Amino acid sequence: MSNACGGLSVGDIVPDFRLETFEPEKGDFGEVSLRRITEEKKWLVLFFYPADFTFV
Amino acid sequence: MLEKVKYTMGSDPTGKLSRMFGVYDDATGLALRGTFIISPEGKLLNHEVNYYNLGRNIEELLRKVEANIYLGEHGDEACPVSWKQKGDKTLKPSAELVGKVHQAME
Repeated sequence: MSNACGGLSVGDIVPDFRLETFEPEKGDFGEVSLRRITEEKKWLVLFFYPADFTFV
Repeated sequence: MLEKVKYTMGSDPTGKLSRMFGVYDDATGLALRGTFIISPEGKLLNHEVNYYNLGRNIEELLRKVEANIYLGEHGDEACPVSWKQKGDKTLKPSAELVGKVHQAME
């Protein structure tokens, strides 16, 4: 499902996705998936930003 | 430089995730400032997207996360317009509430 701006709409079930990650508290790379997060019954906030050093 | 960062940082080099959430900007190859709140059931509950030079309000984000968590635990309630934090008055939507929201909020 998509809206006028493209992408998911509020109310949609988000398809599973995987991301390579960096965990600053561990100082190491890792991987996360939406499936694992929902299995652990956690909330998720995805916070996109354009690039480093964009000051806002 | 990352010593104060406590959250997981994700990598989306191909823009696949940005496109899924509708924040990929084809003109620049960058992601717009989008914030998305997803419930433990995997449902997208909130979507906020700002153009580049407008920063997001983190207090408002935390308010929405708290509100969504509360509503997840109290499925028959609603957080009204003025709801700021846990403990504030909520509403129980029903036919009886019609025309009486002001009274209910006193």
